Amino acid sequence: MINKLIVSNILHRPIRTVVSALAVAIEVAMVMLFVGLCHGIVNESAQRLEGVGADIMVQPPGASFLLAFSQAPMPVKIGDRLKEIPHVLAVAPVLFNFNSSGGLNIIYGIDMPSFDRVTGGFVYHDGGPFQNPYDILVDDLYARANHIKVGQTISLLNHEFHVCGIVEHGKGARLFIPMSTAEDLLQVQDKASIFFVKCTEPGYTDEVSDAIHQLLQKYQVSPVKEWMSLMTSNNLPALNAFITVIVAIAVGIGFLVIFLSMYTTITERTREIGILKSLGASKGYIIAVILREAGLLTAVGIIVGYLIAAVARKAILGAFPTLSIELTMEWALYAAILALAGSTLGAFYPALRAAQLDPVDALAYE
Amino acid sequence: MEPIIVTRDLKKVYRLGKVDVQALRGVDCTVHEGELVAVVGPSGCGKSTLLHILGGLTGPTSGDVLVDGNDFSKMTDADRTRFRRHTIGFVFQRFNLLPTLTARNNIAIAQDIQGNGFNPHRFQAVVEMLGIQAKLDHRPFALSGGEQQRVAIARAVICEPKILLADEPTGNLDTENSQSVLNMLRDLNRSFGQTILMITHNPEAAAVADRIIRMRDGRIVSD
Repeated sequence: MINKLIVSNILHRPIRTVVSALAVAIEVAMVMLFVGLCHGIVNESAQRLEGVGADIMVQPPGASFLLAFSQAPMPVKIGDRLKEIPHVLAVAPVLFNFNSSGGLNIIYGIDMPSFDRVTGGFVYHDGGPFQNPYDILVDDLYARANHIKVGQTISLLNHEFHVCGIVEHGKGARLFIPMSTAEDLLQVQDKASIFFVKCTEPGYTDEVSDAIHQLLQKYQVSPVKEWMSLMTSNNLPALNAFITVIVAIAVGIGFLVIFLSMYTTITERTREIGILKSLGASKGYIIAVILREAGLLTAVGIIVGYLIAAVARKAILGAFPTLSIELTMEWALYAAILALAGSTLGAFYPALRAAQLDPVDALAYE
Repeated sequence: MEPIIVTRDLKKVYRLGKVDVQALRGVDCTVHEGELVAVVGPSGCGKSTLLHILGGLTGPTSGDVLVDGNDFSKMTDADRTRFRRHTIGFVFQRFNLLPTLTARNNIAIAQDIQGNGFNPHRFQAVVEMLGIQAKLDHRPFALSGGEQQRVAIARAVICEPKILLADEPTGNLDTENSQSVLNMLRDLNRSFGQTILMITHNPEAAAVADRIIRMRDGRIVSD
């Protein structure tokens, strides 16, 4: 019977129901999308780096493990010494260039033969390798997002680049230019930001890492598997703080809307609460009615929130193919728990207030 | 018959802003099981306050209230609520049905609150006695005043309360419906021995009672 009362109350006030459920839905979708976007971007960029196919990365002293922030170049000749280490199959120097026009992009300046040896070579969707210094390769996702075709000219780093090929994504960066061009743009000679080292067998990774450490004592030598394990939001304090703030805002929205919704409901239904009390309804019964009503609104909101998150993800990825949004079951569950906790908290004071209403005053309420 | 309601020197003082209002100034009365008692008097004489205290909706300021042997003046609000759930049924002037529920559910919710579960036999007997079978799936806004009051009476008696307290039950009804409701209350009293205490302004309503208690200025002036 209590369920019938709750459902009939919810159906009786459709606008309030829709607004409350929508607020919870936005809360759930916001949590899932923001967290999914953060994790997606971190994981996708990590996977792209793993996709290079190297076993070890060598960076200059003091470089950040976030590669995008490590432009500091090293002498490219180091690569020749790395190649001499036993069990090293190939070494690819890469010089990073950052493009900030039209979004922040990292551009790999690559030596095509050595990069191909480490990565196994690009898979071309269209076009082919560099022919001229200002040729550029773009990955398929970047091409789709920016409507780029082979033969087109694009403007990056204050220069015009001719798109010579579109390659399969997942080889570190989305944009690749010849190493010599990258050096010209940075006005450096024979320098590299990173060396990707491929071993003859992955099993030699530790042995080769130790050897590189011996050779280049102050340099950062990171086995790719180890680096991948560090590339989680837990190891990115700013990202964690950002996620926490977003989650707190979302839960705050849910809490306030449910609080306001249930508070106004209590005022509107003062007389009905008086009726229940005249029938002998205990404080617990009244609190249960209010909390269960808020719970049902939240449950509807959670389901709608999941749908909104799924639809929004599809729409966002359609508009921005280079982004990655991971909607996980884990965060779907967290979002649901947060929404339920927020709305229970939001409904609790109104419920308590309803339970404490004086029955005589409540029955006389106009 | 045993007395089911006994009040002794019952007083109730309300505080309205900074002013104390003496709603009851020492009420002594006794109602026996199976009686139909009408309480009459002008507005503000304390009738409704007396009814609210007897129903356990509010406590007295001083004095004793014994309802079915239980002293309300010594009970907590929660105890009075529990007692009311099992012992008292209310009928109000404004019907006070839950607007979102059908007539059926308005009646059934009283059984739900009582906690003994839905009793289909009792339910059927009550709706037949009150002649509301055809209206059970209607919401209050789709019922006439007389129909709403019959549903309210059904809700009040569905749990077989020992006492039925009626607050101006015909106050919002036309003559025909008033008579119909009064007949039902009288039938409940005569056929099932239902103890009824009814507040009314209406002399015709008071006339169906076994006893008439007259109140003025918070006191009983005749019984």
